[in-house]
Amino acid sequence: MLDASCTSAEIKTANPSVAVFGIGAIAQHSGHLPLGTDRYQVAEVSRRVAEDLRAFLLPTLPFSMSECHTGTAGTVWLRAETLASIVRDVVHSLRSQGIHRVVLINGHGANFVLGPVTRELNRVHRDMMIILVQYEPWSKEAYLFRYGSVDSHAGEIETSLMLAIRPELVKKERVDGVCAMGREFYDYAPMHRWAPDGVDGIPNAASAEKGLVALDAGARTLAKEVRLAFEALSREDTGESPAESRG
Amino acid sequence: MLCTWENTTREVAIAEPEIALLPVATTEMQGQHLPVGSKCFILDAISRRVGETLPCSTYLLPTLPLGTSGLHLGTPGTVALGWETLASVVRDLVESLLAQRISKVAVLVGLGDASGGAAWPSDNFIVKTAVRQLNYDHQELQAIWVQPFRAAWTDLLDIFETADKEVHAGEVITSVMLHLAPDLVGEDRSDHVPAAGPELLNYAPFARVCPGGVWGCPSLASAQKGAQAFHAAVRHTANYIVSTFDSLAPMKTCQGAGERRSGDA
Repeated sequence: MLDASCTSAEIKTANPSVAVFGIGAIAQHSGHLPLGTDRYQVAEVSRRVAEDLRAFLLPTLPFSMSECHTGTAGTVWLRAETLASIVRDVVHSLRSQGIHRVVLINGHGANFVLGPVTRELNRVHRDMMIILVQYEPWSKEAYLFRYGSVDSHAGEIETSLMLAIRPELVKKERVDGVCAMGREFYDYAPMHRWAPDGVDGIPNAASAEKGLVALDAGARTLAKEVRLAFEALSREDTGESPAESRG
Repeated sequence: MLCTWENTTREVAIAEPEIALLPVATTEMQGQHLPVGSKCFILDAISRRVGETLPCSTYLLPTLPLGTSGLHLGTPGTVALGWETLASVVRDLVESLLAQRISKVAVLVGLGDASGGAAWPSDNFIVKTAVRQLNYDHQELQAIWVQPFRAAWTDLLDIFETADKEVHAGEVITSVMLHLAPDLVGEDRSDHVPAAGPELLNYAPFARVCPGGVWGCPSLASAQKGAQAFHAAVRHTANYIVSTFDSLAPMKTCQGAGERRSGDA
């Protein structure tokens, strides 16, 4: 595995052409899941995808835009412009060492700024290909879950994934709750105001088996899609000279 | 009592943490023999032990793995933030702690060195500026910064032969890695101490000043010295945090004490 446990010389020898950067979050996940749930999940998926792509795996960013959970103990967040700056700086660091293909894996649904910043970076750095996996990778495998369609936070999907990754951190006592409000309410008020248990979904339907299948299938599907995207972008390459300016 | 990201929000609410710890590390070239994640690895371990040592309820945040490693940019595996970005991260996190009424925050700024004095951190410099700004923006806040090796610098001078000459990937950090993760430490440990002072690093990339990636004497490292240094760093950092918050508390609660002082160092 090519990651931060390697020396600079080892990374140089391996000469990776792709880097994978997972973006986690620290946020309340109801009474049964740890604050670091998003971080564990995206770290696991990023590791599998990086292995598949033989990419350089960056350390997972622990924090992101979880302000929609403000008012709950332990939740800490970054503002949109801070997260955008981190992504710009990381891409700049990779470019300066000759890595021109970057996969951003988003582990937290609220990080909407990643879309605009990815677009901006691809526009500014014409010699780079920056792919954003905009939604949580496992959401592609939602068919596995009985209540996947009503699941937005700490429900069947996230609980199953955590049962697969770190079962000892998942509590037995779980509150189910499906919110009547649309998901735009995350934009309007802290979640605990409209979902006092901090859950939107059916965590009691979770199982480690479903979580494992979702992880395996999700990471494989994702790696395949990223490969296809890089291939398609290489064909589209117009051969323009690399832009020197930094976004 | 220590809470972390492994706990649920309810467990943190019940623990009512008085202090939060925010470790800020770097991912950067560390010579031929150490992993690029060495500082993150060590700071993770130190922060957790400090959190377990503190006499009050404490909330440990995950270590930010990226810092301002601009002087190593371009070397494989180095992933750096700009200084504005790091300052913004510290601001956002401290303000989100304040929003949940955790008003004492200790930022562990990289590892530091044995050069003594505490006017400036020896890496991630901008954290000093960010912490100062936050304290004047929020009168109820007590934000402090500390560097574990700096806090233990007198002990480090006793334990090591070349702690005072070490700038990067030398005897101290190599020893602590030999103590914590010997499997990750390589054998190619060449010593190099340039004649110039470390201020040269403000002007030229590290690889130009030290082509081997080392400023110090990693050949003298041992796991035994590393264990002593690790425990000293934990003890001194915890003591520094406790005594600094003790001194600071009355200054923050008195009327007018939060007003700006001018011209202080």
